[in-house]
Amino acid sequence: MEPTHHRLAISQLANDFHWLEDHCRRQPGMDAQAVGLRLASALTRNVLGPFLEGQPARPLHLAVVGGAGTGKSTVVNFLAGAVVAETNPQAGYTRHPTAFVPPGPSLPWPSSIGFLGPLHRVSDNPPANTDQDIYQVKRLPPQPTAGEAPHPLADCVIWDCPDMTTWAAENYENRLLEVAALADVIVYVASDERYNDAVPTQFLHLLVNAGKAIVAVLTKMRPADAPALIEHFRQEVLRPLPPRPAGMIPPIAVVPLPQLTAEQRHDPGGAGAKYREPLLQHVRAVCEVDEETRQRTVRNALRYLNSAGEGLLNVARSDLAQLDAWKAVVSAAQRDFHERYRREFLTGERFRRLDTYAERLMDLLELPGAGRILSHMLGVLRWPYRWLRDSLYGLLVRPEVLSLREKTVVEESFQSWLDRLQAEALRNSSVHPLWKQIATRFEGELAPQARDRFAAAWRTFELKEMDELEAAGQTLITRWEKNPVVLSSLRGGKFALDAAIIAGVIYFTWPPGWLLLLIPVGVALTHQLAELVVRGLVEQARQRLRNQREALLTATLGTPLAEWLTQWPATGGTSLEKLQQVLRRVPETLRQLEQSITERLTAAAEPTRLAASPLPPSSLPQTA
Amino acid sequence: MNDTTSSSPTPASPPPPGPPEEPPLLRTLAPLLRGLERQLRHLLDNRRHYPLTLLQRAELEGLADDLRRQAESLDVDKPLLVVMLMGGTGVGKSTLLNALAGAPIATASFTRPTTRDPVVYFHQSVKTDRLDPALRLCRLVQHDRAALEQKVLVDTPDLDSNDLTNREKFLTLLPIADIVLYVGSQEKYHDRLGWELFKQQRQRRAFAFVLNKWDRCLTGESGLRPDDDWLRDLKAEGFQNPLLFRTSAQRWLEAAQNHSGDGPPPPPPDLPEGEQFPQLRQWLELGLSRLEIEAVKARGVGQLLTHLQQAVETIRPPDLTSEAQRVKAAWHASLIDEADVQADVLVGTLEPYQTEVEHHFSVEGQTQFRGLMGAYLKLTTRLRYASSTLRDRLPLTGLKGRLRGGRIETSAQWNLGEFVHACARTARERVLDQRSTALVHRLLVDADMKGFPLGLLTEPTHAAARRDDHEDLTQAVIDALAEVERQATHPTGWRGLLRRSLTLLANILPEMALVATAAWILWNFFIYGDIPDFFRMALIVLIPLVVIIVMHLLVAMLLPVRWPAIRHQFHAELGQRLAAALERIYLAIPDQVAEAIGQERQQVDRFLAEVKQVQEWLTRRQQTARIAELYGK
Repeated sequence: MEPTHHRLAISQLANDFHWLEDHCRRQPGMDAQAVGLRLASALTRNVLGPFLEGQPARPLHLAVVGGAGTGKSTVVNFLAGAVVAETNPQAGYTRHPTAFVPPGPSLPWPSSIGFLGPLHRVSDNPPANTDQDIYQVKRLPPQPTAGEAPHPLADCVIWDCPDMTTWAAENYENRLLEVAALADVIVYVASDERYNDAVPTQFLHLLVNAGKAIVAVLTKMRPADAPALIEHFRQEVLRPLPPRPAGMIPPIAVVPLPQLTAEQRHDPGGAGAKYREPLLQHVRAVCEVDEETRQRTVRNALRYLNSAGEGLLNVARSDLAQLDAWKAVVSAAQRDFHERYRREFLTGERFRRLDTYAERLMDLLELPGAGRILSHMLGVLRWPYRWLRDSLYGLLVRPEVLSLREKTVVEESFQSWLDRLQAEALRNSSVHPLWKQIATRFEGELAPQARDRFAAAWRTFELKEMDELEAAGQTLITRWEKNPVVLSSLRGGKFALDAAIIAGVIYFTWPPGWLLLLIPVGVALTHQLAELVVRGLVEQARQRLRNQREALLTATLGTPLAEWLTQWPATGGTSLEKLQQVLRRVPETLRQLEQSITERLTAAAEPTRLAASPLPPSSLPQTA
Repeated sequence: MNDTTSSSPTPASPPPPGPPEEPPLLRTLAPLLRGLERQLRHLLDNRRHYPLTLLQRAELEGLADDLRRQAESLDVDKPLLVVMLMGGTGVGKSTLLNALAGAPIATASFTRPTTRDPVVYFHQSVKTDRLDPALRLCRLVQHDRAALEQKVLVDTPDLDSNDLTNREKFLTLLPIADIVLYVGSQEKYHDRLGWELFKQQRQRRAFAFVLNKWDRCLTGESGLRPDDDWLRDLKAEGFQNPLLFRTSAQRWLEAAQNHSGDGPPPPPPDLPEGEQFPQLRQWLELGLSRLEIEAVKARGVGQLLTHLQQAVETIRPPDLTSEAQRVKAAWHASLIDEADVQADVLVGTLEPYQTEVEHHFSVEGQTQFRGLMGAYLKLTTRLRYASSTLRDRLPLTGLKGRLRGGRIETSAQWNLGEFVHACARTARERVLDQRSTALVHRLLVDADMKGFPLGLLTEPTHAAARRDDHEDLTQAVIDALAEVERQATHPTGWRGLLRRSLTLLANILPEMALVATAAWILWNFFIYGDIPDFFRMALIVLIPLVVIIVMHLLVAMLLPVRWPAIRHQFHAELGQRLAAALERIYLAIPDQVAEAIGQERQQVDRFLAEVKQVQEWLTRRQQTARIAELYGK
């Protein structure tokens, strides 16, 4: 992948997660998912993005997080070895993150687009309680004992983060998430009062899911209580954490930092050293090997994003369920539509046009050319029988039930289809925003569009049905016309039968008497026979035509309209359309990114292993 | 640096002289509250039409419970004041209670969360069954301190730990509290969970605040001190001068435990500056005198009533009368259209029976003719409509068997009812059943456009559509046929005149012609002696016959009873009747629903009026007492 492609994919993915997050926030009871999605987009921007840009393995980012008043700033001071962070008795004082970079040569700062998302860097040293989307970067002062040894965390950036428990935290939770996502190592601070609180524990869960390396610091207890408290913390908080595959992240170390005296607080490197050393040791333990730490962060971030797929489905589940309900309503209404067409129109429809084709078919059976005269003569002979038959028939057969016109039936059925959808949408509009959206856009958008589509489809349908009718009639005719052998044998057969009857009657009843009346009767019967055959054929054609007509209605009107209606809520820039788009796009982008990240990871692993083996694994001093 | 004076509670002044003897305010309230509770439950049980969301119902049921609870707690000589501790785990609620009790009555420990079962601390004179049922299940600790006689202190589980059952327990206890002692610590005074609960409850209960572990707040660091920060937040919430006690309960508890003799324990040494545990104790013991307790109780009732009023306002159904009118107008138009199409369908089903209908009309028409004309018409009708008789006599079931609708007799035996029944059934089976569901959808959409809540109409309209059976339809067809028949056989206006004169002529002329012809032949025979030949004799029959035929033709031309002519008239009549039938079925629904909703609305209004009445009574009787700082604005 080209670098521009990376950037595009990263920002695309981050935006998609962001959109999903907004989508969650709009729905009640989905706050947890929203936070997870926020973390996902932050991981994309702050971990995957810089990695693909070729960010060096150092500096590592170390985020100090925890509930209000637990002493995050104190822990920062202990990590830094000097009082650098503003500690304040006010709970929830820190409201934006601050990065402390170690003294010495300046470290490369990640510069990829979207890094830390909405936060922008300020350099005018605002107080820590400035409640804005900003972050500051401060340089640690050189150590008093400079020269002897470099700073123990010389290639780490230490982030002092805001809390997540106070009532103001709602505003700055996102800032915390940005930095937590960026971090390679999390220092989770919990006090003796807070360590079993629900809100920070949930946050810890999230970080474990994201595969962050974590060091827990328990603060403020009496030194004597420390072992018992740590044990209780492991039991109550760490044990119920979600399980993770071995090797993915190192086990969580718990470091005590008991209630400090003012002196210890103010001199972490000196008076507080006995607490500082174990802390540094544990922190270094999780970021020891040079490239590994960053690669672990990237791999775990990728794994989290992949596993977030389930969460994505959760986000969409209610929407998709409602869309399914809408589909069900549409197709139920479609069935009604067809049913009405069948019952109100098709069963009563006779296709009168076919009767003319039946007449033409009878015509075909008459002799051509000069034989016409003979046929006419026979026709005269048949007349009395036919007159008698027709009048009897007229007496006995009732006229047909009048059906409504086809257009009326179809239009009204369609209208009732729409009405049903609208009534359903209105009824459900309090259930889910999707229905509400449909209901509000129904009158103005859906109904007119649907009617236009219906009108267009109806025109095609009308043309096609005329064609079909004519074609059905024509096939009746052409089947005989195109086949002269059959036609002439039929004609000849009929004429031969007539001739045979006339000759037979004359021969057997000679001399001529009233029995000659058998001639018209016999001739009429042959004709009747032919008519029955033709009628059977036409009746078959009629039935076929009926089936064809129904299929035609389904193909030109029912199915296209149903499909269009089914998809309609997901079109026209609605959130559902966007949702479907995002759900399609996220796994795709993720796969692309995964591929190039894996390539890069394997490429990075080979040379490092070769080059690094003779050298010490890290530039960090190995002494504690 | 220490500016606690501005907000610290002033020591309680000596109890003010007792007010002039008044009937006990709180006891009188109890029956009123019971009455309100009964009515509220009645209201909830009788809600049938306008929908209540589950949330609303749950809230109102909770309020009804609160009413009952308040009524019970007030219906005694000395009402008990429940002071409940609220706060996150580890802020020292149990330690605070222990310090107040002077002994470790509640478990306090460094592991979190500690308290899982609430502890109730009350005077020994109070019988357990006077406590609220929810409290009786807690750990009960009795004491003999007269100053706390009317007060019940409750230590509660936390509201923020990982053990969510603790939070549930706490939330079930909270409604019992008269005064909530919101306990915070340096870490937790700002926490979202407690703060949101406070904001949600502050309109309903009295609040006092304790900042425990006060020693941890004094770090000597620069910046806003937690107590000032908290006071600022409370001010923003409308608590101008809240009661905030800064305490270090642990120290006091230790001091009390170390003290072995009688009398109050001495204050612990090296207390941090501004520590106010004694003030807290004093406020609980003396500051909350009988007067204050009554006022807090009364205020609690007042707030409960305000809350009730607001909650009931939200379930007050809207007034739908004008919407109902608009819906009716819209429905009227839709129903007329529908009736027109239905008439089309029904007339279409009558099409196969046109001969029978014509026959029926002819038979009806010919009854007015008598004598020769009558006999002639009877004969010709029978001949002309032989088919309609024949058709039914012959076993030709194949010919539209189902549509024939059983035996349809001709002439006098023609069974109109059965025939029409058959037609209506056919029409329903083919078309009308489906149309009626479609109609319901149409009507509902119409109603929604006129602003009538759809949910209210859906059920009754569908029910009406199901009830809409074919009796109405059949009746409409019969009526329409009868009306057309009446118009055809007894026309009015010039047609009536024409008909009457034609009938008169037709009844007289043939006989006159017969008599005249006979007279003419006799005249010739007797006067001139002409013996009539066969032709002359035949004239006696032929001339009247010609007259009859001419008359018949005239009648047929001027007053036709052919199907195409009747059809149109029949359609119009049928349309009218069907419209009337449909309107009878559907048009009443919006009004009925609106009326039912209106009744519910009145019920709610009556209830609201009573709540208001009780509230006003309470305000009038409210006494001034030192409780203002327990409530925000």
